[in-house]
Amino acid sequence: MTNWSPTVITRVMLGLAIVLSAFPLYWMLVIASRTNADAVSVPPPFLPGGNLGENIVAVLNNEDAHFLLGLTNSFIVASIVTISVVLISTLAGFSFANLNFKGRNLLLLAVLLTMAVPLQQMGVVPLYRLMVSLEWTGTLKAVILPYLLNGFGVFLMTQYTRQAVPMELVEAARVDGAATLRIWWNVVLPAVRPGMAVLGINTFMLMWNDFMWPLIVLTPDNPTVQIAITQLNARFSTNYTLIFAGTALSIIPLIAVFVAFGRQIVGGLMEGAVKA
Amino acid sequence: MSLDTLSRATRNNHRRPRPPGRRWRSRMDVKAMPYALVSPYFLLFAAFGLFPLAFTLYYSLYDYDLAGTTEWAGLGNYTALLADDDFWNAVVNTVGMFVIATVPQMLLALFLANALNKRFRFRLAIRMSVLLPLVTSVVAVAVVFTQLYARDWGLVNWILSWFGVDPTNWRAERIPSWIAIATMVDWRWTGYNAIIFLAGMQTIPRDLYEAAAIDGASRRRQFWQITLPMLRPTMIFVVLNSTIGGLTLFSEPTTFYNGNVDGGSQGQFQTVAMFIVKQGFREFDYGYAAAAAWLLFLLILIGALINFLFVRRIGGTK
Amino acid sequence: MMISRRRGGLAAASALAVAVLTVASCGSGSTPESSAPASSAAAEPVTIRVQTFGGGTNFGYKNAIAKWNAEHKDIQIKEEHLTDQFEQQYWPQMIQWLQAGNGAGDVVGIDEGGMGLAKAHPEWWTDLKEYGLESRKADFPAWKWENGVTADGKLFGLGTDIGGMSICYRKDLFEKAGLPGDREKVSALWPTWDEFMNVGKTFQSKIKDSKFADGTNTLYQVVLYQEAAKNGNVTYFDKDNNLIVDKNPAVKAGFDFATKMSQQGLTAKLRNFTDEWAAGTQKGSFATLGCPSWMLGVVSGNAGDAGAGKWDVAAVPGGGGNWGGSWLAVPKQSKHPKEAAMVADYLTSAQTEASIFTDFGNMPSNTKSQADPAVQGAKNEFFNDAPIGEIFAKSASSLQPVFMGVKHAQVKNAIESVIQGMDDGSVPYDKAWQQLVDDAVKAAG
Repeated sequence: MTNWSPTVITRVMLGLAIVLSAFPLYWMLVIASRTNADAVSVPPPFLPGGNLGENIVAVLNNEDAHFLLGLTNSFIVASIVTISVVLISTLAGFSFANLNFKGRNLLLLAVLLTMAVPLQQMGVVPLYRLMVSLEWTGTLKAVILPYLLNGFGVFLMTQYTRQAVPMELVEAARVDGAATLRIWWNVVLPAVRPGMAVLGINTFMLMWNDFMWPLIVLTPDNPTVQIAITQLNARFSTNYTLIFAGTALSIIPLIAVFVAFGRQIVGGLMEGAVKA
Repeated sequence: MSLDTLSRATRNNHRRPRPPGRRWRSRMDVKAMPYALVSPYFLLFAAFGLFPLAFTLYYSLYDYDLAGTTEWAGLGNYTALLADDDFWNAVVNTVGMFVIATVPQMLLALFLANALNKRFRFRLAIRMSVLLPLVTSVVAVAVVFTQLYARDWGLVNWILSWFGVDPTNWRAERIPSWIAIATMVDWRWTGYNAIIFLAGMQTIPRDLYEAAAIDGASRRRQFWQITLPMLRPTMIFVVLNSTIGGLTLFSEPTTFYNGNVDGGSQGQFQTVAMFIVKQGFREFDYGYAAAAAWLLFLLILIGALINFLFVRRIGGTK
Repeated sequence: MMISRRRGGLAAASALAVAVLTVASCGSGSTPESSAPASSAAAEPVTIRVQTFGGGTNFGYKNAIAKWNAEHKDIQIKEEHLTDQFEQQYWPQMIQWLQAGNGAGDVVGIDEGGMGLAKAHPEWWTDLKEYGLESRKADFPAWKWENGVTADGKLFGLGTDIGGMSICYRKDLFEKAGLPGDREKVSALWPTWDEFMNVGKTFQSKIKDSKFADGTNTLYQVVLYQEAAKNGNVTYFDKDNNLIVDKNPAVKAGFDFATKMSQQGLTAKLRNFTDEWAAGTQKGSFATLGCPSWMLGVVSGNAGDAGAGKWDVAAVPGGGGNWGGSWLAVPKQSKHPKEAAMVADYLTSAQTEASIFTDFGNMPSNTKSQADPAVQGAKNEFFNDAPIGEIFAKSASSLQPVFMGVKHAQVKNAIESVIQGMDDGSVPYDKAWQQLVDDAVKAAG
């Protein structure tokens, strides 16, 4: 079938897509490895210079930027939220997909409705006032708690479990005398792992990139990584090399994980996307 | 995994004689456990979903002042918002940027997915590089793009100057600022959506294409008449996701203006989310911000509905 | 086999979860400690966080803080320069932290535009009288002192710098345009603003790569404050806190001049304290800007070492004025009010303020520093050894206080945004004045 082999146009298009995907990142490295004067020169430089190490050290040594703290904080926040969302969603998804109980459809409908609510934008005023009265502003608790649940996650896992775990399997396990939680652990969890992977990656990236709420509720001396970059940008407005070294630094851990687990991530995303 | 392996596994683990007296427990397990499993979600939703929504409504009925006074305002905040040019400016910006970003993004993602669906070497590497933008930091990338769009030394203006285009002030002119922000959004999400579409495409049975080919349908025709309609469920998912993301856009336009929620000297690219933060946390009019949040919710519902209906029509008609 | 492998994976995942939670609890547990070292532990030095804004060398505290930290092992000062922008970012964030009771530093800088509001909220501040700083009264002009005292008599702010006026210009670009480069001759070119604009036209006819002025805003401010001195020393609010933007001839005069500069194409359309403006200083995108004393440090800091010798300082057309100047306050939420008060006292002392002026250019509000011969005779190396003592210190004692309302910062931002919008083309010239008035009314709430 000729249909499945790529034409020249397809190849060119793919090449272009790859170049465009990589270019801003390459550009980031170019500026981060040069001097400040190069950064604002016309025409701009196109090849990396020799100052990358120096600039990165400057960012890390800059106490005001709290850059390492920002990276650590983001990792903590994103990990806790991801674990919570995946766990809660997997449990609820199993219940909605494989168990029978009164009011199931009604509750599932409620979840669907909550999905459309952009909680962090909608609830920003009361959530902030709540954090102030709890004296939690400036702490990581304030950016973790409001995100521990995710309607989209429950929806995704319900759909996924429905596809991946046939009712007969659950019934058979029950006949064998397995309790509900056992069935979840032994039958459901192994089968829905790709779905969990998609949800996990989604949630982690969402939290890693969360910006509006931390900008409001955190303080510059205890930032997440996005806030740390914003601070870097605001405090060193003319120092592009320093800012770009910071941005590069904030991306490197993610890229490293991505390269290491690329096959699983791409595979998981694709499998998860179809079944959900 | 095969069903067989799984059921054998469970059997091995659980084939034990049931101890007497456990019947009540097992009944509770069947009756109550389903509720227990969904309860964490609903409990947390009550705390961090229902509570903020209800209180947003409550706050929106009061008038807050910088001086710290609070007065009952009734629906005053809502009527003031509907008459506020700045609010409508933010709405127009948000919708405008959403359209400028989403339409090309969906088309590009579709064609990219179609291209990725062919057979070639280094398939994984290529798919990974298309996904690369997703695993970056949103603010970091916005900082990079902002520099690319700088008026006096930006790469974009330099390239445009080859074609005799005068330097564009991307942060001052309205439509150019939308385009600049839309490119940031598209750069980030096109590859991701392409991968989702690709996954959808791979579930389409090949014999459909084979039959079409025998009937003499061209590849383009096959794409429009088979691929697109079969992709509808995937597309609904992707479009709804982009709708919610696009209408709550905040990070890119804020970073584009130095971390400032004004969105340009005259709010050229201030989105509704930025408007809410400005009202609530720059001018400390919590009531006004809360009312705007409810209107944003309304906007999202309308946007989601329109897009849902639109996607449902795609390929639905011959 | 499969099961055990899966179990392994799950076990690993849950181990990871536990590890992460442990790290998290350590992380969140240690955070409050690091921001507030336990005062009981005497060995641990107290860290006093000083929050500032401004751009370039901002408050000029670098050397003064290094000196203090070398001499005081028990109290260490840490400056947190939060942002260049006061009205748009620093002040709203500060208000938020002051209201929340968390986030503000131990000592915080407040621009004149924020003092109206700060004064109206005595509950935000530590009374510095409790730490014996009432004794500082004799060091400051009456108006600078009074502005740091709330209606109920609480002393919350100590004066740092004051405005004064000059024009910073690029000597090299002037000479390239065939204009004189020498500061006496440059000053003689523009006794009035009309003549200033004529110089601009001459400059622009010769130079294409740079604009004559940075934007409309610094010049607008200079004219506004000059005219305010002739119109009862008020800008946007009268002394009863009524908005008078549409009635005050000073505002209209500043606006009209900004409009003319923009219409003549003499501006680089950059707004001060944005990143492109700061980088433009470095790149030579413009040749002049309105320069109160504290702007010298902003220019030298933004331009960097490469700009040394290229910049110079000339007299301002039209006479003196008092744009800008700040105070230091100690928020009530500070865990170390005593040490913070000591730091605020030190940073506003006659000696420190004098050294800041000679090092960076911020004109002291402290009258003892003003009288200091080192200040009177100071020259600024970066600006071609310009006699900044002569330019600023001589007129310092004659500067008039300008009254600012409670919402001055908010109104200022709204007005500057319209003036900038007019310059960058997003507000039509013929609609700009009406919009300025409307937006000011809106911002005043």
